[in-house]
Amino acid sequence: MDPILRRSSFYYATSVVTYMALMGRYFITRSWPVFEIIPLFMPVWLASALLASEHDERYAFLRTLPVADRSVARVKFLLILTAAAVEWFLMVLVASLRTADGAATSSTFVFVTLVCAAGMLVTGGLQVAVWRFGLSAVRPAVIVAIAASLALLIGHTFALKRVDAWFAFSELPPIAWLGGAPWLSSAALVTLALAAYAGLMRVGVRVKASSEAHL
Amino acid sequence: MDTVVEARSLTKRYEDFSLRDVSLEVRCGSIAGIFGPNAAGKSTLLKVLAHQAPLQTGSLRVFGLSFEDAEQELKNRIGYVPQEPVYYPDKTVQWIARFAAPYFAHWDGAGFYALLDQFKVNPLKKVKHLSGGQKKMLSLALAFSHGADLLILDEPTAGLDVVHRRALLDRLRAFVAGGERTVIVASHITDGLDAIAEEVWFLDDGRAVLHESKDELLSRWKRIHYRDGALPQAIEDRLVQVKRQPFGSSGLTGEFPALRDALTGPLARGDAKLDSASLEDILLSIIKGA
Repeated sequence: MDPILRRSSFYYATSVVTYMALMGRYFITRSWPVFEIIPLFMPVWLASALLASEHDERYAFLRTLPVADRSVARVKFLLILTAAAVEWFLMVLVASLRTADGAATSSTFVFVTLVCAAGMLVTGGLQVAVWRFGLSAVRPAVIVAIAASLALLIGHTFALKRVDAWFAFSELPPIAWLGGAPWLSSAALVTLALAAYAGLMRVGVRVKASSEAHL
Repeated sequence: MDTVVEARSLTKRYEDFSLRDVSLEVRCGSIAGIFGPNAAGKSTLLKVLAHQAPLQTGSLRVFGLSFEDAEQELKNRIGYVPQEPVYYPDKTVQWIARFAAPYFAHWDGAGFYALLDQFKVNPLKKVKHLSGGQKKMLSLALAFSHGADLLILDEPTAGLDVVHRRALLDRLRAFVAGGERTVIVASHITDGLDAIAEEVWFLDDGRAVLHESKDELLSRWKRIHYRDGALPQAIEDRLVQVKRQPFGSSGLTGEFPALRDALTGPLARGDAKLDSASLEDILLSIIKGA
């Protein structure tokens, strides 16, 4: 196994395992609208994995090795994609199991897909930002964003539980409409997300090769 | 392949510093010394040559190849020692070697550990617990252990004690002895690397202010010790770094071949004496524009 991949995968594997262990169990066991809330924590987890991975990374060392910058960039993007895909797959799997008891509906699948796609793209964007501006420049903003997201998510959770009129993301009209659309619309969403991610990766490869801020 | 590195008009701009229009050619089998004061651009130049920092303008070919076309092949053939250690601080030396080894086509694990042993670096120690000199030795061991044909070394003797410094100088001489391998080294001069360099570049404020073979440079530059009043005024006026002392004076000249005839008399009378100039003296003279 490629040493860079092996080393960096630790952080993303930890992210997936802790997310599913801490959050994922609610998907199976709880009756409150878990599929409305728990997926929203996924981007936060993924961004945290990126921060931890980048904190320990030594790109200046990697650049001394006979490995091209584009290979390093692709490994990093592959890890983000894999972590997002595994979490998406597990969430979709559990949602499939819980359609029978009504905890998940057709729009749940769209919602989970959108959240995972957003998490993947945002984290990919953060990765590019780290290469372009350096971790020390990006980290404070990311930490503030993570803290703000957690506060909003917790607030959203409590509001959903206590305020009858509070909105649910998965019931927003576009998501509900996509939920009622043929399955091809979900496949198109995934394709679009992957295409956008591939574009982001191409940008990332260029930024990684031309920048020194991350060294 | 006679020319190992062929760089034309290299330019690299940072916010507060620019490497400007530096060209150099390094012959196979030689030791090239890049010398200059702090912030002269030595490290930047070496980073560009080793493809650690992207080039902005100019052209660079190493072993006749460009990094755009053959990055992996070139990095396999180059051993680069950065000025500052760049390793994972929480990992052991052994871990670093295991991490790096799969990327090199000709990794010599036994050679790596033999070098660590010679350098007295414990492979089980974490990088963060190594001294500055030991970190430098780790860098050197990595650079020497993958069959590189070109070493690019940034202040390689910094932090080394005299024993290890001399051992490194001997190793560098042996490295190029066959005529097939090459060394480019950047230094502040005073650490003995000036003694082994064959080609010399002086950098100042991001520009190459001099390039010459060391032998030619040292034959052109001499320190002249003389009794006051013994030299013709025209010669004395052309000396730089003149030091007045109670028993006489001394000064440097970079035009010794042109002054040789005029100095014959004072030298024959014992009123003047010639001494070799050090690269440090020469560099100081050139940088000060004296």
